[in-house]
Amino acid sequence: MSSKRYDQLIADLRSDYRPQREWGEGRGILMVIGHFLTGVAGGTWLMASIFGVPQGLFVAFAAGVLGGIVHLLFLGRPERAFNMVRHVRTSWVSRGFVGLGLFLMGGGLYLAIITLLPPGGVWNLVAIVAQVIAAIGTVTIIGYMGFCYAASKAIPFWNSPLHPAIYIAFALRGGIAALLVVAVPSDATTGDSLLRLWIGVTAIIVLLLLIEIYGAMSRGNVAARWSARDMLAGRLAVLFYGGTLTLGLIVPLLLLLGTSAFRPPVVMAFIGLASVAGDFFMKASIVKAGVYLPLVLPLRRQGA
Amino acid sequence: MRLGMVIDLKRCMACYGCQVSCKAEHGTPPGVFFARLVKREEGNYPTTRQLFLPVLCNHCEDAPCVSACPTGASYYAEHGIVDINSDICVGCRTCMMACPYGNRYFHGEESYYFGEAGPTPYEEARTERHPVGVVMKCNFCRHRLAEGQEPACVANCAAKARTIGDLDDPDSDVSRLIKERNGFTLHPEAGTKPKVYYLE
Repeated sequence: MSSKRYDQLIADLRSDYRPQREWGEGRGILMVIGHFLTGVAGGTWLMASIFGVPQGLFVAFAAGVLGGIVHLLFLGRPERAFNMVRHVRTSWVSRGFVGLGLFLMGGGLYLAIITLLPPGGVWNLVAIVAQVIAAIGTVTIIGYMGFCYAASKAIPFWNSPLHPAIYIAFALRGGIAALLVVAVPSDATTGDSLLRLWIGVTAIIVLLLLIEIYGAMSRGNVAARWSARDMLAGRLAVLFYGGTLTLGLIVPLLLLLGTSAFRPPVVMAFIGLASVAGDFFMKASIVKAGVYLPLVLPLRRQGA
Repeated sequence: MRLGMVIDLKRCMACYGCQVSCKAEHGTPPGVFFARLVKREEGNYPTTRQLFLPVLCNHCEDAPCVSACPTGASYYAEHGIVDINSDICVGCRTCMMACPYGNRYFHGEESYYFGEAGPTPYEEARTERHPVGVVMKCNFCRHRLAEGQEPACVANCAAKARTIGDLDDPDSDVSRLIKERNGFTLHPEAGTKPKVYYLE
């Protein structure tokens, strides 16, 4: 441990609200990137399946592979990663690992079949099985991240029942945005449907985030309040206002409003890219805003 | 048998003896504190006071770190002690996010107290106990308990503020102290059933 990191840790341990730095700083940023890519992978696979966009399936698979690699790079002992299948019964990380494995296996097999083999015959059946496996994996990777954070009892800001819903919505928005980038140039009708869906999911995300932040500020634990303040007016304000609000919300909305009569594919793609970038900054803000429960005596003892 | 600890805050004089003795016993690398002392100032001038709180792993009965661990590296050992099997741990740090007491540490890279000068002979002797890339925590000095000794922080507490014993035995010192002096735990609202109690 470098002396700078050591001094940082000692300062953190002395502070009332110790920020978590393991997920989100240094090599920990890989965890945020991994979760982001995995979420986009799940959302894109789902949306590409619904809208019938094969290119989207390839993008989803590539994002899933990258997400898996980044997750592995984050681990302290990546060579032991297969140990993570052992606790599916209780651990959301374990469930996510298995889900990603299913997604990559099923998705990879399905894409190999539709790309390399002629249609028909027994491979059609195998393709259906592969699709089912990929679908189970998709649902798992879309859902597990939020539950993983919500189960973190040390970080009150994450330990919220809304967190899973927010992460699911983010995955869907990421999927729609990815399709806006890859699918629109070839199909304007799909583009309009995707844009309408993007607006709907974005509205849900904004609502959920407002409820979550209001809940943390008004009724939350002191550590959750601290996290919310950090995000809105503290060390993460630039990331939140610049990355999440401006890039992820205001820029896409301006592009939408400014081109209401006719939207060229390149504008759709920019909306998608800005939306995806905003999602990344939002996830990074939420993760970095996490502070540990302060170690204090129970209230009734403090006045004793 | 459920092994638990009682820490008498009236006796504790914040001498850091527990923290130092734990460091000496385990030879933990820089930035890893199985036992540590939290010092905090409360109130506003002139009505201020300083709080001392010695903390360590609470060896919870419903340990969230055990259920969050994807590999089973965090587990319940004998007498309900929560320990880590560093041969299985992948270093995902999920347990650190699950522990409401913040008493787990990630040992990310080999490091020594004297930096580039390398390990002292003492650190060298202890290093093999601490593999890199895994999470570490207090295990109530299981190796000492197996030899019939008390954990280092208990044995070396100058004020005798720490007591360890069987929480299931109503006649044990820990059970008696908790009952007589209304022992309490940290963050009971987390529902983890900690086995480290405090007395005031």
